[in-house]
Amino acid sequence: MFLIIRRRLIQLIFVLLVLSLFTFTLMKLAPGDPVLTILNADEMVVTEEDQAKLRNKLGFDQPLYVQYGKWMLNLVQLDLGKSYMNGKPVWDELMERLPITFELTMFAILIMGSLTIPLGILSARKVNRWPDQLSRILALIGASIPSFWLGLILIYVFAFKLQVLPSSGIGSYSQIILPAFTLGFTFAVVYARLLRAGLLQSMSEDYILAGRARGIKEWRLLWLHAFRAALLPVITVFGLSIGSFLGGAVVIEILFSWPGLGSLAVDAIFSRDYPIIQGYVLLTGVFVVIVNLFVDLSYFVIDPGIKRKEGTL
Amino acid sequence: MNRYQTIIAGLCFILLLLTGCSTTQTSTDSKSNEDKKVTMIFSFKAANLDPHTGFIPIRAGLTETLLKLDQESNIEGWLAEKWHTDDNVNWEFTIRDDVHFQDGKKLDAKAVKDSLERSIEVNESLGSSLKIKSMKADGQNLSIQTTEPYPALPSELVNPYTSIVNIEAEKKAGKDAFRNNPIGTGPFKVKEFKPNQEVQVVKNKDYWAEEPKLDSAKIKFNEDANVRALALQSKEADVVYNLPSESLSAIGKDKELAIESVPGLRAHFILYNSQSPKVSDVKVREALDLLLDRKSIANDIMLGHGVPANGPFNSSLPFGIDDEVKEADIEKAKQLLTKAGYKENADGKMEKDGSPLTLEIITYKARPELPLIAQLLQSDASKAGVDIQIKTVENADTHLAENNDWDLATYSNNTSPRGDGSYFFNTAFTETGALNVGKINMPELNKVIDELNATSDLNERTALSKKAARMINKEVAHSYAVYPNIIVGMNKRILNWKPTAEEYYILTHTLDVK
Repeated sequence: MFLIIRRRLIQLIFVLLVLSLFTFTLMKLAPGDPVLTILNADEMVVTEEDQAKLRNKLGFDQPLYVQYGKWMLNLVQLDLGKSYMNGKPVWDELMERLPITFELTMFAILIMGSLTIPLGILSARKVNRWPDQLSRILALIGASIPSFWLGLILIYVFAFKLQVLPSSGIGSYSQIILPAFTLGFTFAVVYARLLRAGLLQSMSEDYILAGRARGIKEWRLLWLHAFRAALLPVITVFGLSIGSFLGGAVVIEILFSWPGLGSLAVDAIFSRDYPIIQGYVLLTGVFVVIVNLFVDLSYFVIDPGIKRKEGTL
Repeated sequence: MNRYQTIIAGLCFILLLLTGCSTTQTSTDSKSNEDKKVTMIFSFKAANLDPHTGFIPIRAGLTETLLKLDQESNIEGWLAEKWHTDDNVNWEFTIRDDVHFQDGKKLDAKAVKDSLERSIEVNESLGSSLKIKSMKADGQNLSIQTTEPYPALPSELVNPYTSIVNIEAEKKAGKDAFRNNPIGTGPFKVKEFKPNQEVQVVKNKDYWAEEPKLDSAKIKFNEDANVRALALQSKEADVVYNLPSESLSAIGKDKELAIESVPGLRAHFILYNSQSPKVSDVKVREALDLLLDRKSIANDIMLGHGVPANGPFNSSLPFGIDDEVKEADIEKAKQLLTKAGYKENADGKMEKDGSPLTLEIITYKARPELPLIAQLLQSDASKAGVDIQIKTVENADTHLAENNDWDLATYSNNTSPRGDGSYFFNTAFTETGALNVGKINMPELNKVIDELNATSDLNERTALSKKAARMINKEVAHSYAVYPNIIVGMNKRILNWKPTAEEYYILTHTLDVK
């Protein structure tokens, strides 16, 4: 297990290095700089001289490798720089928004779990009957519906028509339901199909048949034996799609006015606030690697029966 | 009840439970009538409430400036009772004697001086906007000396970034705390601020003008126009800015709601690249100007929420010109192109020296109506034998500044943010102006702009602004298309309030509810 953790930590450094180089180059290649936005040229009398002065102050007149080198040097000292827009340290900005996104993601995962498990089990137990058909239709909807549209529909129904839930904002549990459901639903219905397939597969395994022959009750076989094995592919796919999950959160955060990391990133992109964009990308990279590490470690817990060579999965 | 029914019943129960808790929340949020309160939703959010880097404090009635704009966009006194200069360098401002900050401290010239100094320190571009060399405070009298003769100073002091705050309170509370709870002189003070989400304010009972009518207000931020519209329709919000046009008919049908569409201070226009050999000919620009169907833009693209333009500034402004709006005229455009040396070829295209007149127009989607204006111009130009190719870019400012091979562009600017035309002339027409991406350099116009910059008499400034606007029109340096309206949806329970063109003074002490 420790070997896995060590390997993942080395992998993390490599991932972050590649990510930082990639995003830095892409950002600099993309048109636009934050100078006019910082100077608020649409409201203030700004001259070319003002722009040149600020460009010089921000170091934009230096070659790309110098800019990257300086940024890297600061990063090694754990300094992500300061936001161009408000001068706050990037780390503080990210840490301020992280719990907000974390809260949304946790609730979304909770909703996802509470939809995936019953729906997956139901459709596996009632193959080709109505629960299975329903889950198939939901999966089709979930896979094809854009999350912002689902969010708007939910706002229309619950905030506008029924007026039982607020349309946006954070602070109370009522405000988390719609965004978390929007985010969780699309993943839940797809994972439910995965769980169904996994359950059908494992319920036809020899050890289940043997168990059945020994008179072990069906629910016991399902929960204690088949379910664990069926959960593996779901968790693996979840680990792989954590990036999409965070990507989905960006849209949801904008729609529901949820001031988390996603909306911070979108604002930063629009205003070309490079330090924030870099910080966001690196943090997301760390997340993806860590979540995948947890996914790998969870295999030990979920299915300890699978024999592995030490340090591999 | 079998197992599946139990599961379904369980799910229903959870859903009911969740919905149940939320209902209580909403009802306490918006249905209580014990206090007079309103909820507004703005489209741009605020990460903090620093009045020197953001507009929300003035919009939320937390802070005020020395001078302000009246309904007709004329400059009038606010925290300054009167002001005076003899030479446009030495200015005397008399600060009102009856004003206190929200923490009880009396407002005097020293407090104003400290606040202005902070604003220049905090805001990157305010220093060059204000051009202040030195300030002296004596009781209620504030003397300002500018670095050069600067008649536009009063206009620049309307800028919300020059809001007056109590610096002593900042020293006491600390920088970060003050940024979330600035102490100004406005009719409302901060009760709670959630960054990028909402600010709750309560009335300042000791407000100097009169006691505010509202007890409290909540200002939320949401960037999604559809969500804002739905919040207005569900009565969750009382005032919503920047509604999407597709929601207007539904809102119009609701008897409890009203739509206010007021002329704004922005202009959508066509920008010409003076370095393009094709449009550097004034005859070609005149022809293109005649191909721009301003009425159709106002009626069909803006759906009536805009006024056809006749110059850089809305005609309703004191310094806007009242010349007639140009009518689209394809035949006359063709004649002008003929005068410019173009001939209609066998395919009906205008050509010169064997090559047809093909132009590239740059547009961008940040303002959805701009690509539509480009399409309309493309369609009308083709009738006159001019081929216009549309190129959509993500960041128009950078593309236009960094490339020379474009001919024209759709563009949009707030042409008179503070009741004065000099801002736009200086940024969009002078050689060093940051918004002069078409590299316009008209020596005659430059002289008028210089004269305007050195003139303090309001009537003379108005006359010079009009003169400059007419010169721009004559040379067709820009083709002004439309002045877009500000569209605000409001609940009819709101009393004594109308949205204003400059969008600065939103939560006011006179705003009331039924």
